Amino acid sequence: MFAFLFTSALKDFARARRIIPWIIVLVGVGAIGVAWKSLDTSRAMDEVYGELSSVLLFRILALCSAIFTTAIVSQEVEQKTISYLLTRPIKRRDLLLARYAAACVVVFGLGIFGAISLSIGVYGSNFASNPILMRDVMGMAFGTAAYGAVFLLVSLFINRAMLVCLLYAFGWETAIPNMPGELYYTSIFSYTQAIAQHPSAPGGNALLGLLSGEMGINTLSKSTAMTGLAVFSVLCCALAAWWFTQFEYVPREDAE
Amino acid sequence: MITFDRVSRWYGQVIGLNDVSCEIPTGLTALLGVNGAGKSTLMRLVTGQLRPTTGSVRVMGMEPFANPEVYKILGYCPDIDSFYEYMSGRRFVRLLGRMAGYSQSEANDRTEQMLQRVGMADRAHKPIAGYSKGMRQRIKLAQAMIHDPKIILLDEPLNGLDPLGRREFIDLLAELADEGRSIIVSSHILYEVEQMTKSILLLHRGRLLATGDLRVIRSLIDKHPHQIRIETQDPRRAAPLFAAMPNVVSLTFTLEPNVLELQAKDPDSFYDRLAGLVLDESLPLYRVSSPDNNLESVFRYLVGP
Repeated sequence: MFAFLFTSALKDFARARRIIPWIIVLVGVGAIGVAWKSLDTSRAMDEVYGELSSVLLFRILALCSAIFTTAIVSQEVEQKTISYLLTRPIKRRDLLLARYAAACVVVFGLGIFGAISLSIGVYGSNFASNPILMRDVMGMAFGTAAYGAVFLLVSLFINRAMLVCLLYAFGWETAIPNMPGELYYTSIFSYTQAIAQHPSAPGGNALLGLLSGEMGINTLSKSTAMTGLAVFSVLCCALAAWWFTQFEYVPREDAE
Repeated sequence: MITFDRVSRWYGQVIGLNDVSCEIPTGLTALLGVNGAGKSTLMRLVTGQLRPTTGSVRVMGMEPFANPEVYKILGYCPDIDSFYEYMSGRRFVRLLGRMAGYSQSEANDRTEQMLQRVGMADRAHKPIAGYSKGMRQRIKLAQAMIHDPKIILLDEPLNGLDPLGRREFIDLLAELADEGRSIIVSSHILYEVEQMTKSILLLHRGRLLATGDLRVIRSLIDKHPHQIRIETQDPRRAAPLFAAMPNVVSLTFTLEPNVLELQAKDPDSFYDRLAGLVLDESLPLYRVSSPDNNLESVFRYLVGP
């Protein structure tokens, strides 16, 4: 049953109507890579890629994750189709986790597409020689799971969770990595950057440095970051599954 | 099959269901009440979408909230007109069939059977977004029946159906009830309910006002004597004879010729005596009817104006 729930959710999330806008955005990221490289010829391709990846790709990953994972439950409640799903002989836990897994697969797939698109933009036909690409993919895998899990949990706790998730993705995740002290431990972005290990770009654009979280100190090792995100994702998913099993989810604007 | 034991359900400061105790047996039962009476709340408690604030709900002895075992024997047709609009009706029903645990081929077969049964087999390939209200209701019923449940709950299922569709729908519900299932249908349209069943559950402002057979409920409402309308050849001769009967509490000559209206307590006893009176007095009667022995009157008497 889990496999069926996963594949049916995957078909839903991967519908052309949902995916095509993201593909257009990610092709646009590749185009920005081309333009950036041609405008700033003084910098190494690795630096350009790393900076654009931090500023654009990982932000888009968080945005994409917010949109797909809040849809797992919130969208069903909003469009009032939750009644059909919750009156089937399926464990709520299975339903939630299968849909979470499907959303993560789609977000991760889009992340890979974006990384390849940017890599082509920056490195051209030698995009496969990009040394950061695989590390980025690894960072996106862990980032997708972590963002997805936390946004899923938030969407179960509060109505209309999208706003909170977007504030987290763009406000918290931009500000916290640049703050002094050890607050960066509370930012998923810091962990993904520790995994991706983008080359630092001294003398680069200050605004881009801010957006890519380079103003703060990040002492996380790759293995710590991977372990941290994995544990965090599992905990959030477990809590979400428990919560979804215990509490009521009925179509909104419908309580008599 | 379904038991409510002192069930109350609050939505914050608002009460949705107030201290309801009843048992719902097999057969077709109508859940009756005006909008906001608590019908949908009751349905959601049975379908385990809500938990009671106090008391307990049992479906075949099981607690329904988030219980997959209950959903194996329960089909639910919500009142909300919401679907995955991009899907075809066939795909929607098949999807929910698969979620009920059927294999792909079983789900395909069952989907075709159900679509045939609800009269949608030839139209279910189109996207739901283009369906009429009646087609949507049929698809909702098909998905509720796909896993052959013993209990089917239908929340306002006749909304949006044309007269022919209503007739077909009511016949289908009777068929399902005859197969030994428990069918619970909510409605606020008395005429429709009366066509479906005599077994009712009457809710008003969250309280269960009456439950059981309509005629039995009516006979228990002592405050309002039964109205009986009699058409006879000679009302002037008939009137004193009726007036002398012990159950008759009032008698009225109407403006219509040859028509008397009586009010009687204990109507069964009245009808027994009436047969004897007609034979003994050779009193020709054209027609005897009981205008308030119906759901509307019961509803009016119980709920008030």
